[in-house]
Amino acid sequence: MATAAGNADASVLREGASEEKGEHARLASFVGAMAIGDLVKSTLGPKGMDKILQSVQRGRNVTVTNDGATILKSIYVDNPAAKVLVDISKAQDDEVGDGTTSVVVFASELLRQAEQLVNQHVHPMTIIQGFREACEAAKAALERAASDNAGDEARFRQDLTNIAKTTLSSKILTNDKEHFAKLAVDAVLRLKGSGDLEMIQIIQKPGGSLKDSFLDEGFILDKRFGVGQPKRIENAKILIANTPMDTDKIKIYGARVRVDSMTKVAEIEQAEREKMKRKCEKIIGYGINCFINRQLIYNYPEQIFTEAGVAAIEHADFDGIERLALVTGGDICSTFDNPEDVQLGSCDLIEEVMIGEDRLIRFSGVAKGEACTIVLRGASEHILGEAERSLHDALCVLTSTVKDSRVIYGGGCSEMIMSKAVEELAAKTPGKRSLAMECFAKALRAIPTIICDNGGLDSSELVSQMRAAHAAGKKNTGINILTGEVGDMQQCGVVECFRVKQQVLLSATEAAEMIIRVDDIIKCTPRQRE
Amino acid sequence: MTATMAGERYVENKLKHDVRVSNMTAAKKLADAIRTSLGPRGMDKMMVNAKNDVTISNDGATILKTMDVTHPAAKMLVELSKSQDIVAGDGTTSVAVLCGALLDKCIGLLGRGVHPTVISDAMSTACEKACEILEGMSDPVDLNDRESLIQAATTSLGSKVVAQYSSLLSPIAVDCVLRVLDQERPNMVDLRDVKIVKKVGGTMDDTELVDGIVFDQKPSKAAGGPTRVEDAKIGLVQFCISPPKTDLENNVIVSDYTQMDKILREERNHIIGIIKKIKASGCNVLLVQKSILRDAVSDLALHYLAKAKILVIRDIEREEIEFISKTLHCQPVAHVDHMTPDKLGHAALVNEKQCGNGKVVQVTGVENMGRTVSVIVRGGNQLVVEEADRSLHDALCVIRCLVQKRFLIVGGGAPEVEMSQKLGYWARTLSGMDAVAVKAFAEALEVVPYTLAENAGLNPIEIVTELRNAHVAGNVHHGINVRKGTISNMKEENVLQPLLVSTSALSLATECVRMILKIDDIVPSMR
Repeated sequence: MATAAGNADASVLREGASEEKGEHARLASFVGAMAIGDLVKSTLGPKGMDKILQSVQRGRNVTVTNDGATILKSIYVDNPAAKVLVDISKAQDDEVGDGTTSVVVFASELLRQAEQLVNQHVHPMTIIQGFREACEAAKAALERAASDNAGDEARFRQDLTNIAKTTLSSKILTNDKEHFAKLAVDAVLRLKGSGDLEMIQIIQKPGGSLKDSFLDEGFILDKRFGVGQPKRIENAKILIANTPMDTDKIKIYGARVRVDSMTKVAEIEQAEREKMKRKCEKIIGYGINCFINRQLIYNYPEQIFTEAGVAAIEHADFDGIERLALVTGGDICSTFDNPEDVQLGSCDLIEEVMIGEDRLIRFSGVAKGEACTIVLRGASEHILGEAERSLHDALCVLTSTVKDSRVIYGGGCSEMIMSKAVEELAAKTPGKRSLAMECFAKALRAIPTIICDNGGLDSSELVSQMRAAHAAGKKNTGINILTGEVGDMQQCGVVECFRVKQQVLLSATEAAEMIIRVDDIIKCTPRQRE
Repeated sequence: MTATMAGERYVENKLKHDVRVSNMTAAKKLADAIRTSLGPRGMDKMMVNAKNDVTISNDGATILKTMDVTHPAAKMLVELSKSQDIVAGDGTTSVAVLCGALLDKCIGLLGRGVHPTVISDAMSTACEKACEILEGMSDPVDLNDRESLIQAATTSLGSKVVAQYSSLLSPIAVDCVLRVLDQERPNMVDLRDVKIVKKVGGTMDDTELVDGIVFDQKPSKAAGGPTRVEDAKIGLVQFCISPPKTDLENNVIVSDYTQMDKILREERNHIIGIIKKIKASGCNVLLVQKSILRDAVSDLALHYLAKAKILVIRDIEREEIEFISKTLHCQPVAHVDHMTPDKLGHAALVNEKQCGNGKVVQVTGVENMGRTVSVIVRGGNQLVVEEADRSLHDALCVIRCLVQKRFLIVGGGAPEVEMSQKLGYWARTLSGMDAVAVKAFAEALEVVPYTLAENAGLNPIEIVTELRNAHVAGNVHHGINVRKGTISNMKEENVLQPLLVSTSALSLATECVRMILKIDDIVPSMR
């Protein structure tokens, strides 16, 4: 709190800046972080709820989502600690693509526990020390519990399908999760371990139902061929370009020609036309039978291409062009003087296909066999948008599983294993640190508790049952949310990716530690706006 | 600790409950607003937009689209209606009304403490079961059975302003779809192959299907060109017939007045040169694409074209080119040097026709005509024409549904009562929360016959209970005969509708309800 100059404790901060110290600072950051946790925690688990995101800007667009990262990305946060949590969610999204809600919920639960410890006059540093050791123990337990089926192809595929199903079960796709799990696994296995999600293109087409979505082993471009051009090309040689094909303007400001008669103007017009014709001929000279341009191809060049029997596709967007260049193995070029330097794209067949009511162009048998397209169908744009986000999550998780093939049981099972390990450590540890460890274990158990609560189940009963089962050595016990009972996760097929869990554990602990360390918040003077 | 957490959670849940209920109430309000427009005796709504433009419509999708809805949950209902429009094209009011009724039941269930996910799951199973029942009572239809198709279109048109013209519009809709139907893709109909030209003037009786193509643009005959050409050779050009213009800016410098004449002469020669080439190809009807950069056809060019006895139609949009070239079997020409006889389309007659205040150009007797069709919609005033266009679109969609899924069911509320009854029986075999939710679903379905009766000025309770009795007695096809004010066998009354419309309305409404049920919070977002 800035005080007036001349007072006993002279102000070092500029006027308008504020400072919060000690208890206040800690309280502010704990409250902020917990508020964020409470906001997203109802979306956790297979029976988690959705949120409406309503834009405050003009248009007041509405998004309905269940994805933690999407919610947190779009809300307005004014609390520094809350921002830290939003950031870890983003980091989780970039790193592994799933578990974005879990990481925030776990971090906020850790802080909830830490707050109670602080109230019991445990020094923040001791809490941090305890959390760190607990985290190590939990990590070790997690590694022990993980199983690896990379050697056995059939079982690995089964694992992948189960992971996809587990991820999708908390999303809008839950009704058709069998179908989408198969789609996602097929798509990811085509990548052959490269993990380049750029190769998987997702197209949204309103109409039909989610069940009608399908995987196409080719690349689909949402464009049309020019009028009167071949609609089917075999053994296509493709030139991909980003060049103006309406008028080749000279980009000098104020450039103009002065002539003294109309014939001259006509001559210049003719010359411009010739220039365009030469350009087209150069392009045709590459020996191609398909030309794709990012920009407009106007009538005249289009006709020249038609006459040469070259299919011309105009207005392919940036994304489409880059993907096309990637999958067909061609370069994107803007000048056409050196045919020998340019790598042409190729594919076995280009044809026009109908999806729903729309005509699109499909490139099949492309140079990069990994590429594929997933066409999503659904009733409305809300559903399609959410379906794409869900599918993206599943794809991310699957690619990280392909990289690190270890898997672990879900349904709260892994949390219980970790919590058990941490509690055992706490029992052996003397000193105040053990208090922090116990709290860490409690925070871990909060995740299955929340999953139960969201499903309308009796959380205290189920979690204690699970705890007892784990103590009795039944290591695969978790919550079967569908029947509302405790069950064997191996039989239910609820499997999660090891890397996602590990990442949740580590980054949530780190974030919590960071926030606990804070004892002073200094806010700079807000920028003055006129 | 558990105690405090439980306390906290109690407050939290109450808040979330409120968000859910407020969402539902908002969506339900919207559904109630358009409820009165359901059915053959449904009322129309007049919508006035910010510019004071008036739209009168009975079409649910149009009403909802024009309403300026701000509540996010209500927006979902608008989306729902739009989806139904995309999928089936008809039943856009029913879907919203059905959704409203389901939400009403959900509020009741939530109040009794049923968990939203339980309701949501039960709704989904009930919906699947209902669709099965619908399929069970449907009859297959053959596309060659023109009568049945016309009946289905008539049922769809029955609720519109244009109902009394349904005997005229239904055959038009059926013929349109059958004509654009591609034998190679028997399950696909692309309605973009149907061109609808709206013209104010005359009565709706003058609406006609044109075997050929109709241009809204009237021929440019400023200089007295022909308006009727027999044995037409049609050229579709994408270049301009006007003084030359370069992409670079150009200045023509005139240093003394003798040069003025020269420039004018040159301009004339330039245009005559182009026209001579056009004439040499044998073309006598010219369709010119619109140009944004310059005059597509200058007045001078029009004069010479008229002299050359060439009929000119200007302002063809670039998007229309593909449709035209498909219909007329001609190829667009982008440069005058490419103008050759093989690129022209042939037609027996191109004729300008008086059409109310305006004029249209009809091209008939096209050689090798593509699978396209044009319809001129006429009507007394702008509003009627617009509504006729929308109604015709609905009728076209109905026929398209039948092409996609070749089953018909009866209308008049009969399928809803039947589903409600069967689901009611089924609910009794279930136990627990599911039974309650399925029963609620069954009850909600009765909103359709109830509303139909109410809108027709009948006593809804009497009619609906009578219907129930009839269905218990095994009269599966009994529904409300709105014209006579009684219940009767809808199959005999020929009130038929496509199965796809009903099943998609049912599944979309359920999907929307489930989505709204799952929402527990509205978060303001930065984007």
